[in-house]
Amino acid sequence: MAKGIYKKTFMAPLGKDNPVFVQILGICSTLAVTNRLDNTLVMSLGVIFTLALSSFTISIMRSWIPSRIRMMVETMVIATFVIIVDITLKAFYPEMWKSLGPYVGLIITNCIVMGRIEAFALQNKPSLSLVDGIASGIGYAYVLLIIAFVRELMGTGTLFGFTILGDWWTSWAIMIMPPGGFFMLAIFIWIAKEAFMKEATS
Amino acid sequence: MNKDGFYALRIHPIVFMGIVTIVCVSILSALYLSTQDRVEANELFFLRRSVLDAAGITHDGTVDAVQSLYETSVTETDGKYRIDGNEDSPVTVVERTGPGLWGPITVMIGFSSPQVLSGISIVSQNETPGLGARIEEPWFTAQFAGKTGPFLLVEEGTSDASNEVDAITGATRTSRYFRDIVNSVVSDGPSIYGGQ
Repeated sequence: MAKGIYKKTFMAPLGKDNPVFVQILGICSTLAVTNRLDNTLVMSLGVIFTLALSSFTISIMRSWIPSRIRMMVETMVIATFVIIVDITLKAFYPEMWKSLGPYVGLIITNCIVMGRIEAFALQNKPSLSLVDGIASGIGYAYVLLIIAFVRELMGTGTLFGFTILGDWWTSWAIMIMPPGGFFMLAIFIWIAKEAFMKEATS
Repeated sequence: MNKDGFYALRIHPIVFMGIVTIVCVSILSALYLSTQDRVEANELFFLRRSVLDAAGITHDGTVDAVQSLYETSVTETDGKYRIDGNEDSPVTVVERTGPGLWGPITVMIGFSSPQVLSGISIVSQNETPGLGARIEEPWFTAQFAGKTGPFLLVEEGTSDASNEVDAITGATRTSRYFRDIVNSVVSDGPSIYGGQ
């Protein structure tokens, strides 16, 4: 039975409980970083790391945290992990750090992190919270990567900075601008809901 | 212990938050101090690389190459970088910050004579990714090399005369801000280049 819970916890954020296209959380970063695949990938890894470890840490502390100040403690823990990501990138991947700019710091305000801690980690044991954090992070990451794939390919004709489409391709500048993010996200949610979640929405 | 007592409601949360804060800040301080040298080395590398790029000196982009080239060819005097090339005339590079569309743009601009630029490199910018941020792309910065300011913007792909540069399609305002920064430095060219 225990195994079943882990599997269920892991699978839910990938499909029917996806943080982006079902819970509609973390939209700001979804729109902001998805115009290039490499930024998206690093951002996703940062979110997975932060989400998994802050869920885990808060879950360990959950019986000691006074409920009146739990949000302050959560924010402090999340911020700590985000700054760890930021410093690590700055020291070891400075080029990437430069191109991500302020987005790494904005993981702190990603609603998925706070949302999963409030909704899951406070009620569940550490190992389960860790699984939930990783799965929610992956659920976030794959949606972003799909959107970034389309946006970068149509917006600049490249993938990960390598030219894929030749000179005949006219880049759609709107795809890499903020409106492109809105369009792609809306189209993605529409397709995902129509194709896979008919029974859930009806 | 009384659950609703003064201690549980008032003191305990403060003490708890204090301890959490101390632990978190200690971890971050330790990480910061242990990576400080690396971060400073990275910043120095970026600075030196942009000086070399602005001076038009080609390098392979590795840390060692940039360091040895910089140390053999560049001398720093009052915020200016002077490169006394072997065959060419000496080059003077200055750093300048000006307004961009979203935030300041900092550039390194090199002069091979009081009017002619040896090159431009971007130190930092916050323009729109994919549009204005294309000022960092090599084709854009490279087109200033060997040209004479003040510059005029023309449609992307049509620059021809020695004072024309391509604007970036879809980033008209960033292009204009960038042109203004470059032109303000160019107008100081004689004092920068000759002011030894």
